[in-house]
Amino acid sequence: MEGFIVLVILLPLAAALLTWTSASRLQGASVRISIIGSIATFGVTTLLLGLALTGKSATQVHLGASWGILLFDPLSALMAFVVSGISLLVHVYSIRYMAEERGYARFFALLDLMTAALLLMVSAGDLITLLIAWHLIGVLLYFLLGHDTASQAAHRYASWTLLTYRFGDLPLLLAAGLLYQAFGTWSSHEVFAQLTSAPDARTLFGLPLAETVAGLVALAAFARSAQFLLHAWLPYSMSGPTPVSALMHAGIVNAGGFLINRFAPLFVTANDVLHGIFAVGLITAVIGSVLMLAQNDIKKALGYSTMGQMGFMIMECGVGAFSLAVYHLIAHGLFKGTLFLGAGGMIGEARQDDGVPKDDLYTFVIERRPARRRQPWLVMAAITLVVPVTILILAHWVVANDFFQKQGAVVLLFFGWVTGAQLIFSTYRMRTENIWRLMGMILFSFTIVVIGYTLISHAFDVFLYPDPVFRSRIYTAAGINVFWFDALVILMTLVVVFGWLVTYYAEQNGQRWSDGLGALWRSFYRIVAREFFVASIYERLSAVLLAVATRLNVLLRWA
Amino acid sequence: MTLTGFLVAAAFLPLFPFSMLFNRLFARVGNAWLRMALLLLWPQLGVLALVTPGEKPDAWLVWWAVATSGLYALRTVALRDLRLWTGYMATSAWSLLWPAAAFAPLAASADALALQAAGLSAPFVLLTWISGRLDAELGAAYAGVCGGLAVTVPRLSGLLTLAILAAVATPLVPGFFILLETTLHALPAMPGAALLILTVWLMWAWSGARILRGFIVGPARGAPGRDLGNAVVALLGLTFVVLMLAGIGISGDLS
Repeated sequence: MEGFIVLVILLPLAAALLTWTSASRLQGASVRISIIGSIATFGVTTLLLGLALTGKSATQVHLGASWGILLFDPLSALMAFVVSGISLLVHVYSIRYMAEERGYARFFALLDLMTAALLLMVSAGDLITLLIAWHLIGVLLYFLLGHDTASQAAHRYASWTLLTYRFGDLPLLLAAGLLYQAFGTWSSHEVFAQLTSAPDARTLFGLPLAETVAGLVALAAFARSAQFLLHAWLPYSMSGPTPVSALMHAGIVNAGGFLINRFAPLFVTANDVLHGIFAVGLITAVIGSVLMLAQNDIKKALGYSTMGQMGFMIMECGVGAFSLAVYHLIAHGLFKGTLFLGAGGMIGEARQDDGVPKDDLYTFVIERRPARRRQPWLVMAAITLVVPVTILILAHWVVANDFFQKQGAVVLLFFGWVTGAQLIFSTYRMRTENIWRLMGMILFSFTIVVIGYTLISHAFDVFLYPDPVFRSRIYTAAGINVFWFDALVILMTLVVVFGWLVTYYAEQNGQRWSDGLGALWRSFYRIVAREFFVASIYERLSAVLLAVATRLNVLLRWA
Repeated sequence: MTLTGFLVAAAFLPLFPFSMLFNRLFARVGNAWLRMALLLLWPQLGVLALVTPGEKPDAWLVWWAVATSGLYALRTVALRDLRLWTGYMATSAWSLLWPAAAFAPLAASADALALQAAGLSAPFVLLTWISGRLDAELGAAYAGVCGGLAVTVPRLSGLLTLAILAAVATPLVPGFFILLETTLHALPAMPGAALLILTVWLMWAWSGARILRGFIVGPARGAPGRDLGNAVVALLGLTFVVLMLAGIGISGDLS
């Protein structure tokens, strides 16, 4: 058992070393070693996940005296399985995709090293090992994104990624330092045990230890998961090879969600921080989605789509749905990885058929097909509002009939309702020959997604956090005053419904905005098109620092 | 600490403006082997001067040292000459031995500090060897002028990459654990200094990425130089392995 945990890290490391050293002798064939290593790693992680699913208890392997602890528990087993699975897919895809590129063997060796670092991160049982893995992932990502050494742009944006990730390393290091100062151990298990027994411990300047450390860990997670103001690198990192984009969006950028889950016992005692996490996640989800809609570059749009998804994942952590965030990061990893790896095929298909729907007049006059009709608005509005909420409540009730007691579940239910309603609402705007058939298919898909999501997230909850008392504590920690909670939910509902009514009114009247509102809208669009000036501000800041450094060098006569 | 002792320590474990002495000298020495010797010996003399009185540096000295480290870290960002970059980075790194000495247990400080100085110097010795090689092969070790090395001399550029990574204290080299330990020790006593050390570390990463880009990225420029032979690559690869093992050895003090 202990051997398997160590093997998970050693296999990709050995594969990287052998691939690199044999490259000059075997040429392109050396990547076979890397592929074999990936398959073997995936095999071992599958075995470990199987053991975790059959109820094998958590185990630690100590490789050093004070640090170097590898951990086997449900979270590490699940994440190792996901990481190695995605890594294997990316390896296989890269065999042909990267075949013509310079540094073919180097690319595979770097992929193996990245896999090893990710596996080390998910199985780290102490704070030093976690710090090392966290740091190395940023460095390796820099080299993977900048694999094309002829491209200045790729390296420039890879540097942005490196700097953001290094910035995110620092709060994690501070958090580790404060925990060590307080409890005198690097072992995560011992730290959490002592924190649980002394939740009111104090640290520097008399600050509460749990809240301070949780805030720092959250900041590290924000930098890794491209939360607002720390997101500028993500949409620009597309200059790297496509397999790296797939790996990054599927298995690296979502590490923030993993980190918060790993520190779950800490966040349970730091409820105020969870509210902050919710706010940051919400802002990121909204801004990421708005920026995605305003892009005319498909790759940047995908980058902002990931930002929005990461915001949603962090927001789930903020409402106490920790295990749901893990499910979300896995689901997002799979679909975003598929999008990137399928991008080439999509471009090929688009050259044959652009996929743009034909105009109604064209289909009526040229194709001689009947004009499509809309259904009565009132009927559609009733369906829009009632159907999603009914499906959601039924699906949640099947899993846990006391879900209304958990504020986190209600918040997610609310988001599910808004999303579902928006989906059906947009159906009203679509013109189709058979609206009921389309509606039926949408409702069927929605039901399947909701039930699947609810059941799977419940299964994740039970698997990752088997202790029902701890599960309940997470939701309780994320809760707020009932009055304010209800008031916020009602307010948000009114805002959303008001938005729909405004849209409907504008559609019916054929004019979207009055002149004043139109100017305001155009100004807003300009700001969005410039991505809220975040990247520009960072560029300006770095230019100022460079100018200061140059001036200093000249003043001090280069000594 | 006597005034003479302080001046010697301030010159050899550089505190600004005494640090200018080392950098002036380092820029003037033409022979790469001499520069390598200088990098190994200079901080050892400083450590000797620092630990001889048997006292720990005062808080104001720690602030001075951290500020010196920050100043040189910032200045490296604008540099393109690898020789100057190495000298400034070494200055920035060695200055941090003052807080390391101030917060380490007194009994362990002399030997540990000498080891830490050697651990910090090792990547700069390698960088100096590389810059000597670049001078000999390409006539200069200047980022932007010798661009595209990854294409023309892949082995040398690989080695340069590893040396820069070691210089900016990437895991698992000694520099990583030294900075980690110094920050952790500084955190409870002087949190502001600890934050400044972390900022210096961040600045190193930025600086390292910039200088690396200037050397290895882009189309090949000029006539390709000779790349490293198998034996040299094996020897230098072994050196990096030893460096990492030394780092893991040093990490035993993280308590």
